[in-house]
Amino acid sequence: MPSMKTLPILQDHGQPQRLSGKPGQRSLWQSIQELEGRSSGRAGEFAAGAAEVPPELSRRSFLQILGASAALAGLGACQPPREKIVPYVKDPKEDRPGKRFHYATALALDGYATGLVLAASDGRPVKVEGNPLHPTNQGASSAWDQAALLDLYDPQRAKGIWRRGQPLSWRGFLAEVQKLARAHDADGGAKLAFLVAPDASPLLAELRRRLSTRFPRARFLAWAPATADHAAEGARIAFGRPVDMHLRLDPARVLLSLDADFLAGHGESLRLTREFARHREPGAEMNRLYVAEAAMTVTGAAADHRLRMRPSEVAGFARAVAAHLGALPGAEALEDPARDRAARVVAADLARNRGRSVVTAGERQPAAVHALAHAMNAALGNVGTTVVYTKPVLGDATPTAAALAELAKAIQAGQVDTLVVTAWNPVYAAPAGLDLGALLAKVPNAIYHSLRDDETSRRCSWRVAASHPFESWGDARARDGSVSLVQPVIAPLYESVNAADLFAAFLEQGDKGAFQHLRDYWQARSGLQGQAFQARWEGWLTRGLVPGTAEPADGPALNAAAVAAAARSPAPKGEGLELALAPSYGVFDGRFATNAWLQELPDPITKVTWDNPAYLSEATARRLGLADGQVATLTLQGRSVQAPVAVMPGHADDCVTLALGYGRSDGSATSKGVGVDAYELRTAPDAWFAVGLGVAPGKGKHKFAVTQGHLSMEGRPLALDFDAQEWAHGHGGHELEAQRGPVPSAQPPVDYSKEDYKWGMSVDLSRCTGCNACVVACQEENNIPVVGAEQVAKGRNMAWLRIDRYFAGPAADPQTVGQPVMCQHCETAPCEYVCPVNATVHSPEGLNEMVYNRCVGTRYCSNNCPYKVRRFNFLDWRGEVPAVQTMLFNPDVTVRSRGVMEKCTYCVQRIERARIDARVAGKKIEFVQSACQQACPAEAIVFGNLNDKASKVARLQEDARRYDLLHDLGTRPRTTYLARIRNPNPDLA
Amino acid sequence: MTPPAASAVHRDPLAETPLILGHPSDLQVNDALLKPILDPNRGWKVLAGLAAAGTGLLVLGITVTLARGIGMWGNNQPVGWGYGIINFVWWIGIGHAGTLISAILLLFQQKWRTSINRFAEAMTIFAVMQAGLFPLIHTGRPWLAIYWLFPYPNTMGIWPNFKSPLIWDVFAVSTYFTISLLFWFIGLIPDLAALRDSATSRVQRMAYGVFALGWRGSARHWHHYKIAYLILAALSTPLVLSVHSIVSFDFAVSQLPGWHTTIFPPYFVAGAVLSGFAMVLTLMIPTRKAFRFENLVTERHLENMAKVMLVTSMIVSYGYLLENFMAWYGGSAYEAHLFFKTRLTGPYAPIYFMMIAFNVLVPQTFWWKRARTSLTWLFIASILVNVGMWAERFVIIVVSLHRDFLPSSWGMFFPTWVDWSIYIGTISFFSLLFLLFLRFVPSVAISEVKELNHEMRHGQAGTGGHA
Amino acid sequence: MSALFSPRWNFLSRLSLVVVAAGAVGTLVALWGYWRTPYGERLQEEVVQPVMFDHRHHVVDDLVDCRYCHFNVERGASAGIPSTEMCLNCHSQIWNKSPKLEKVRESYFIGTPIEWVRVHQVPAFAYFNHSIHVAKGIGCVTCHGRVDKMPAVTKVASLTMSWCLECHRNPAPNLRPADQITSMAWEPPSDPAARAALAAELMKKNDVQSRVSCTTCHR
Repeated sequence: MPSMKTLPILQDHGQPQRLSGKPGQRSLWQSIQELEGRSSGRAGEFAAGAAEVPPELSRRSFLQILGASAALAGLGACQPPREKIVPYVKDPKEDRPGKRFHYATALALDGYATGLVLAASDGRPVKVEGNPLHPTNQGASSAWDQAALLDLYDPQRAKGIWRRGQPLSWRGFLAEVQKLARAHDADGGAKLAFLVAPDASPLLAELRRRLSTRFPRARFLAWAPATADHAAEGARIAFGRPVDMHLRLDPARVLLSLDADFLAGHGESLRLTREFARHREPGAEMNRLYVAEAAMTVTGAAADHRLRMRPSEVAGFARAVAAHLGALPGAEALEDPARDRAARVVAADLARNRGRSVVTAGERQPAAVHALAHAMNAALGNVGTTVVYTKPVLGDATPTAAALAELAKAIQAGQVDTLVVTAWNPVYAAPAGLDLGALLAKVPNAIYHSLRDDETSRRCSWRVAASHPFESWGDARARDGSVSLVQPVIAPLYESVNAADLFAAFLEQGDKGAFQHLRDYWQARSGLQGQAFQARWEGWLTRGLVPGTAEPADGPALNAAAVAAAARSPAPKGEGLELALAPSYGVFDGRFATNAWLQELPDPITKVTWDNPAYLSEATARRLGLADGQVATLTLQGRSVQAPVAVMPGHADDCVTLALGYGRSDGSATSKGVGVDAYELRTAPDAWFAVGLGVAPGKGKHKFAVTQGHLSMEGRPLALDFDAQEWAHGHGGHELEAQRGPVPSAQPPVDYSKEDYKWGMSVDLSRCTGCNACVVACQEENNIPVVGAEQVAKGRNMAWLRIDRYFAGPAADPQTVGQPVMCQHCETAPCEYVCPVNATVHSPEGLNEMVYNRCVGTRYCSNNCPYKVRRFNFLDWRGEVPAVQTMLFNPDVTVRSRGVMEKCTYCVQRIERARIDARVAGKKIEFVQSACQQACPAEAIVFGNLNDKASKVARLQEDARRYDLLHDLGTRPRTTYLARIRNPNPDLA
Repeated sequence: MTPPAASAVHRDPLAETPLILGHPSDLQVNDALLKPILDPNRGWKVLAGLAAAGTGLLVLGITVTLARGIGMWGNNQPVGWGYGIINFVWWIGIGHAGTLISAILLLFQQKWRTSINRFAEAMTIFAVMQAGLFPLIHTGRPWLAIYWLFPYPNTMGIWPNFKSPLIWDVFAVSTYFTISLLFWFIGLIPDLAALRDSATSRVQRMAYGVFALGWRGSARHWHHYKIAYLILAALSTPLVLSVHSIVSFDFAVSQLPGWHTTIFPPYFVAGAVLSGFAMVLTLMIPTRKAFRFENLVTERHLENMAKVMLVTSMIVSYGYLLENFMAWYGGSAYEAHLFFKTRLTGPYAPIYFMMIAFNVLVPQTFWWKRARTSLTWLFIASILVNVGMWAERFVIIVVSLHRDFLPSSWGMFFPTWVDWSIYIGTISFFSLLFLLFLRFVPSVAISEVKELNHEMRHGQAGTGGHA
Repeated sequence: MSALFSPRWNFLSRLSLVVVAAGAVGTLVALWGYWRTPYGERLQEEVVQPVMFDHRHHVVDDLVDCRYCHFNVERGASAGIPSTEMCLNCHSQIWNKSPKLEKVRESYFIGTPIEWVRVHQVPAFAYFNHSIHVAKGIGCVTCHGRVDKMPAVTKVASLTMSWCLECHRNPAPNLRPADQITSMAWEPPSDPAARAALAAELMKKNDVQSRVSCTTCHR
């Protein structure tokens, strides 16, 4: 193992610059397969490739940016200039030009980690994948995990360390902090406060422990905009102490979600989606999902029965169900007879499935509802089977909404001289009325540690640029408690500091480096020495997981009386409408607002990009005289914002839903002035919903940038779905017969059976929840550009893989189906014969190939494509790409120039890589996944070789639910669909 | 065989009005036809100025498109083709009358064509020139398209895709343009000679002289001339039918509802002739007035053209009818939705009804002689038909594309200022070329008129064949 | 009226017609031909490298195998350009005082890479992979020529798409035994029959396929 060595970091202009400290080692896999074979790779060095601009990088990306002109180098512009080849000075031990390496690491969101595997090429991470060994995501990854890579290479990240506008060196900073720390020693840190982001990192917890021993009187506050206070409080009511509730959906047959969007968002949604989806195939195993909610969520869209109600009504509904279950004394009937009946039916269905049912409450619901959920699960005997309780994983860094108020009080009282903020952007996201900005300005030394300069950094006297998780050493825990080591895959691109180093600085150990802290901590914890520990350590790094760290289940005793008492708390009453706030599927609570991929990611339900409309139901809009896109003034408790409204099918009446995280006043060009700032209306007591909203129609009209303008299937057989009952009786079977099988055709079908490989894909609509993970994965894998709101509105969105969303039935309470659509790779492709220059042709293995460098852009192929999956570079979407961002490009995929058509290729670059590796080794391709398939948490997308009858995709193409999209056109698509099956309760029909 | 026009005093009531009124001598004919060239008037300068300004728009539009990309147009997903292809088809269509009049009517011995063929041919060439712009500038990378569309042994070892109708277009249009140009020029030679001889300044004489290719009007010259002219006429006749048939394949060969139709070739050709004749009228009526050609381009000419328009409009109407019938009879839900829902009630429905009104109803007025002979109405009608034909292409291209198979990808098309400036630009460029033509070349075939004149005097051919 | 043109104009007019026609055709042919000339293909073009590295000497005199420096050729897309460190594996011992190697030592001790000038370059949208070609029996010479005879490396093959396709359509004639991949001197058997036999054998042995679908090289 090489000892401490200096290593270079890349400035954004691409010149190497040396920075001492931060030594490291990390362990790697040659490939996913090997990982699954449990073989630990050998330890390597730090990502030395970051030092020079790697030859591959310059060769692939830079020229490709100039693609057009390179192609032009025909007439006149005689010869292109000769390139330079820049080899290493000293060979890094493990790196080889163009070779892919995979490193296990983890990424935490609000404290809960997902296990990731980063694919690195020439020393730079180019793709994020889920870690197959990790319990909470099992190889899947979310749109947010995927998009983290874009943040890493964002040229607008915060850089360096600044005190009152003056730059500080790392050493200088350590010296300054030392002075501060010593000053605070005097009074035990009474005037020292930490506002930290929620985290479950054992290392950070350890550092905080040491800090509180040095500064016994220092304040430690944890805060995040989307806190889980209600859940914790609910547990406290039900069990007398906070516990984490974990769902086990595999055995669950009946699920009741009380405004819980457990299939999206963060925490364990990836695992839950997988377990939920596994039981969406027809049969005895199939589960049934009831969702009570206001705005349609991903979970609501996947539900068999969606009971739309205002957030404030959920408590009443929960009480009713609980009463029918006998979990609550004194059954009360609900005013609304239909809902009362629903409550009885749901209760009956749950009761029929004792021990195999789940009741879960959403973070946004008050504590009482959570308590009721616990009570119902207890009454249903679910605890231990479908519901498991553990000690809270977050520990001392559990965020509380009260934290900010307490901090504000302390600052006002002048009790804070030094404040260290690692929490994300409190000034922007603080509850309305709490003018944190002004207060922070009062703190003599407010040290803000952030990935970006934002609203908060402007108010803080110190700005410390944070290293990206992919650049830093650390550890993190998943929601079930399992620990992952966070290992860097690239040296910090900008001068920046890792949270551990920041805390260590106050212990006067800042120069020790996060790596050493981490290793020492875990060595101490393992109790091993020397080689023994080294081996263990490398094992952890290789697998991205520290075994046996998951929290054990514990069985807290339910206090039924307390629950009953809490449940009696009356629902909030008030005049006017109800305002519901929700984290956005794109920018979450706002921290991803600077991420263009997530800004342009269509909302899973309404397909709106770059915006957060005020959603309401059609009836309510009509009643208020509001048209879609009309700007309205939302007023709550004297505070008001101007927001354009949009009608959302299936939204609860008399209620307006607004997503958090938009309308940033600072950040970057990507986030500034996009959408409306919902935090303006958010108060500490009513963090998630409040009654008494006034809505006044305004003058302006707003055009939303939607990727899908028409939400009806027009009665065409596109995204097919059937009820389990009718399916069981064979209905739908013959309906599908008409949508598959051979089509009479003048020319006989090509025979592909002789080929080694016949690539095909299967998409299961029953499993797909429309979570968008595949969309971002595709964008990342295939260098797909972002075009901006204006161009999206013009219909020039570039996504190769889109998820169509169709609604059927009454607009007030419709059924909905999501359908991922990418190039169908038709065997008789309408796009091919119309291309005048042979730029799109068929491969012997049946791929519909798109040759960018041959394309002249007549767009005839797109016109003739019935699936409209082709995307045209109408303008030069890239413009001037900063050197640092060119590192983001996947070197195996051409970056398309202006005037060129592009589309899904079935990740042909992955196929070809696999083919070459296999053929060099004299074997056949054994394993290849498309990017969308690899990301999908629901296992809805399956790609593979149809000539291999044993392959999953081949089996799925024989499935009874299989059908072809637009089958009667005779295009013989290679991508086929599996019809969605709903499992409605006959009693509720 | 009607009696010679000489005995016009007591004419057989059934006889048609003669093709040339009065009994002009060759000299008179010459003067009448050369006058506008030899002494220009002020009006011309004004018009030419306007046209030149409009052409500036075209240059601007094309420059912006090349510099920034097709994104400057309204095109998008799903509407991959917009104004570019609409204008292309429209102009090609207009470019049909010329060759039709010159070639086919010549072969059919339709004497009445003589006074208008020159005119029509010129218009054809200028129209095709406009059309020729679009296939190139509408591509994403014209700098490559310009040579990758031509089959030649290249270092990439690949050929164009001969299955693609766009390749057929390249050949069809370029052939059509070449033949029409030659045809037109050959026809011009004797008149250029006439110009050379009657030109006043030496420069003019030199200029016309060069293009007259040393024509001296000897019997031998005339002999060769006639043969060449006939051959070219024979060559271009099939082209009249082929060009627009092939253009129609761009749509018919695809599988999009509204495009995938077997009726397209005849329907496109008929439409082309309709718009072509309409454009001839639009240009002829004012010219005739300005240049006092009333004696040579008589009411009968205009009336005959009106009749041709009536016929072709009926064919086009039949095309419309059949499209809808097939949509119903074919039983494809997608076809039905396009024809009976999207076109009739969709966001672009007004344009569809405009097309019906202008292409189907307006020409129906030509059943009445009063309509056929009223200059004002003819002029208005011809313009309406041109608008209608443009609308037809809009309906075929944009309306079919904006709502096809998957409702999820339905969209709208809104033209941008670049779209408009290129469209207006081509119209201006066309007018500019036309004005130059009027100014520098005899707009009526002098020699042929003289010939006809003689024939009529000496009682052959009489009033010519029936239109 | 006097004759407008004197008789010599006949000649002039004919001449001008010829000139115009010939000019038009000529330009196209010239452009077409240019890319087929050694100049257009940049063959035998002298390239000045920062260090005057002599393949001739290293290959012939020192018998260094290609794969010693181009270490990645059997494993990856890029053959690999030797790091400064690798040069010094030998040159720390021999010629370690040579002024010719000043740049190399400087690079090593200061840590700035040597910037070589690229000689063989396919467009960025063509994904060439060395390892597969070597594995299937294509020798270095086939594309890079007799490097052992080159004082400074120059391009000998046009590397145009049609040139690639020639072999991709019919690889057999260019195959050689695995142990001869890096050999500069190896020639296929002169006897046509034997040559054909060897080719056929290698095709089978290495499972060589004619791969001409676009995505083989363009992704």
